[in-house]
Amino acid sequence: MSLQFLLDGLIAGSMIGLGAIGVTLTYSILRFSNFAHGDFMAWGAYAALAVVGALGGSTPIAPLSFGWPLLAAMVVAMGLTALLALVLDALLFGRLRARGQSIIVVMASFGASMALRSLLEFMFTSSPTYFSRAIQMATPIGFGVRITADQVALLILTLALVTGMHLFMQRSQRGREMRAYSQNPALARVVGIDVAKVIRATWIIGAALACAAGVMVGVLVQIRPLMGLDLLLPIFAAAILGGIGSVPGAVLGGLIIGLSEAAAVQFVGAEWRAAVAFVILMAVLLVRPMGLYGVAER
Amino acid sequence: MSILQVNALVAGYEPGLSIVKGASIHAAEAEIVVILGPNGAGKSSLIKAIAGLVPITGGQVLLDGRDMTAVPAHLKIRQGLAFVPQTENIFPLMTVEENLRVAGGVLPRADVAPRIEEMFTAFPDLARQRALMAGSLSGGQRQMLAVARALIVRPRVLVLDEPSAGLSPKLVEQVFSRLSEIRQAGLTIVLVEQNARAALAIGDRAYVLVEGREAHEGPAKTLWDDPIIAELYLGHRKEAS
Amino acid sequence: MIDLLGYGGFFLSTALIFGLIALGLNLQWGLTGLFNVGIAGFVAIGAYSSAILTTPETVDRVGGFGWPIVAGWLAAAAITATAAAFTGYATLRLKSDYLAITTFGVAVVVQLVALNAQSLTGGPFGVAFIPRPFASVQDQSVLFNLSNLGVIAAVTLAVYLALERLSRSPWGRVLRALREDERAAIALGKSAQSYRVQAFAVGGAVMGLAGAVQAHFIGFIAPDNYLPTLTFQVWAMLMVGGSGSNRGALLGAIVVWAIWVGSGSVTAALVPADLQARAASLQIVAIGVMLCLILLWRPQGFFGSGRSPK
Repeated sequence: MSLQFLLDGLIAGSMIGLGAIGVTLTYSILRFSNFAHGDFMAWGAYAALAVVGALGGSTPIAPLSFGWPLLAAMVVAMGLTALLALVLDALLFGRLRARGQSIIVVMASFGASMALRSLLEFMFTSSPTYFSRAIQMATPIGFGVRITADQVALLILTLALVTGMHLFMQRSQRGREMRAYSQNPALARVVGIDVAKVIRATWIIGAALACAAGVMVGVLVQIRPLMGLDLLLPIFAAAILGGIGSVPGAVLGGLIIGLSEAAAVQFVGAEWRAAVAFVILMAVLLVRPMGLYGVAER
Repeated sequence: MSILQVNALVAGYEPGLSIVKGASIHAAEAEIVVILGPNGAGKSSLIKAIAGLVPITGGQVLLDGRDMTAVPAHLKIRQGLAFVPQTENIFPLMTVEENLRVAGGVLPRADVAPRIEEMFTAFPDLARQRALMAGSLSGGQRQMLAVARALIVRPRVLVLDEPSAGLSPKLVEQVFSRLSEIRQAGLTIVLVEQNARAALAIGDRAYVLVEGREAHEGPAKTLWDDPIIAELYLGHRKEAS
Repeated sequence: MIDLLGYGGFFLSTALIFGLIALGLNLQWGLTGLFNVGIAGFVAIGAYSSAILTTPETVDRVGGFGWPIVAGWLAAAAITATAAAFTGYATLRLKSDYLAITTFGVAVVVQLVALNAQSLTGGPFGVAFIPRPFASVQDQSVLFNLSNLGVIAAVTLAVYLALERLSRSPWGRVLRALREDERAAIALGKSAQSYRVQAFAVGGAVMGLAGAVQAHFIGFIAPDNYLPTLTFQVWAMLMVGGSGSNRGALLGAIVVWAIWVGSGSVTAALVPADLQARAASLQIVAIGVMLCLILLWRPQGFFGSGRSPK
């Protein structure tokens, strides 16, 4: 039996994990489930595509399918996606949050998600597009597993982003402030934490990581307006499985969901892949709603 | 010259439903001021309003002559006013040291580490548990951590909401003697207390708050001995005790 | 003129079916404050249940039960209620967001089953030959449309009156109290959760019934009928109408459906054929923006009781 599905699951899981970091932070700090988070991924991927187009073609860094322009475009796109999130917060989420009804914010994110996704369909049509159409050679690495250079590069990039994120949350003052605010918003204000800055950091980080994940999906699979919607359920499931508020939990949850999906594709059938996240979500909610790393809801 | 001056403060969570109804108090440099009163008198809301956690609809809060009424909660600490809430006054999922460090964000960067060490020297119990999750501390240690966290930014006025709540008599004594020491260093302390006896023992002056307004004011010692006040508001009968 | 009458009947029938779904949502959200992002899934459960139970035998699909239409409708309501009750049971003791996420998942999974469980749902081709009421006059489209409108209007009226009664009953008062006073909800504890599960299930039953009614009105269903856009349209209808009001839900459904159909035919007339798909996406953008604007500026809707839900 080929163990290829383990690698596939690891890669899919790392992208889900990157998305889940944003969801878990938004939930624990801004106190709502952001249904538009998947669309940040899609917007990020299209933004990178547009920037790459503007930068013009260049030769890929062998043996990768992409070159420096894509990496530069990804950084720019992360900034643009963060800007999109901040604008949405200023126009919509922030105003509704001020009224103190978190479920209304959820509903607004649902409306925004529909609008964002359809706007992409309007601008780029619903047919898929690609960063590169070149076919990559996959190198066998034993146990019947084959890996492409792109996959290696993106796994390393994910590892770097997740590690950086973890260090940021643990070691930096802003990271500590974000954790403090998620644990007790009123006390956070009392100790002098500027809530506006914490909220801004949350959006920037969540949107930038969503963009990175979207670009990776674009490099490894394809870019579609619906790519974010399709990943939304796995992302939510990963964030809840990991325990809301926990960054390592979100990543671990993402990996578990990714691996389970890959296993389902291998042993059950590719058409049932999308049901895996739901089954895991229901199991977590029924058995251990606080997730792997979570604490009971206050 | 009072360092904290509260003039005819009106405050409440919802418009039209004031809990604090025109309270005026003041506190001088290095003074311990105790706020007493029956349940529901608005004691806690009064100091939360001073700290910026309950919306103020009228009156004034002055710190050292400067108007702080409209200053948002997170900026009050930068002006020298520190607040210790009654419950949930630490971040349970952060270590003891992180609790201090996150509060130290108000200080200049180079000042944070030495200041944390100063706090650990002042609170050796906490130093031994610096790497422990704050949520695993005992009640008394939590209170000490909350006080240390408030002191780290060198405030001029420390406002505490029922620091004795939920503590054993022995721990209450420890916490209060600690507050006395802190005052020796020149800090002004304002505290709301149910435990009138312990609070008045260390206090200089006291207010009795009734229905959102100060009804009596006096030196802590005489307030304890005043039979009418004692019977009405402090829950002990002079004759019986 | 006759054509117009027939079309009017068809338009109103569709709008009233949306109105039925919106009534179900109003019980869940407007009265009880439960957020359902998987409306399309619950409507699909009802539609498929009734379709499978009433259609004649086909070779490659479970079926051939040949139930009467009304029995199919009732079964659809019961099956959807069960699915909604289970969803509610699993999530309603947790934070409200978990219900939203789970209902979203329900819609994803129902869509997946509809597409892939060929032997049950017919897969991407869906279920055809669903018996239609008044099929004998199918050739006379005006008569057919108007008689179907009569049936749909009667069902809608019955559900409307039942829900009005329910919301005024002690049961409805408890739901409202639970929504408005979190402390009361906590004091009631377990029984508060059970009230919410009941409300979610009854709302689900109405959605399932609406799905079944629509399936029999059109005579054919396929997975594409139950995409997230449907969920979104129904939310827009309830928000325009004013959540908390059953009359608002019905009026909102008619108004939003009119806007939807109207703007659709305007783009069809004005936009060149190759850009129609793009124009259709703009339609959804517009509805999404409208939903957000209503939340910002008129959370009580336009025809509601004037009170916004908590």
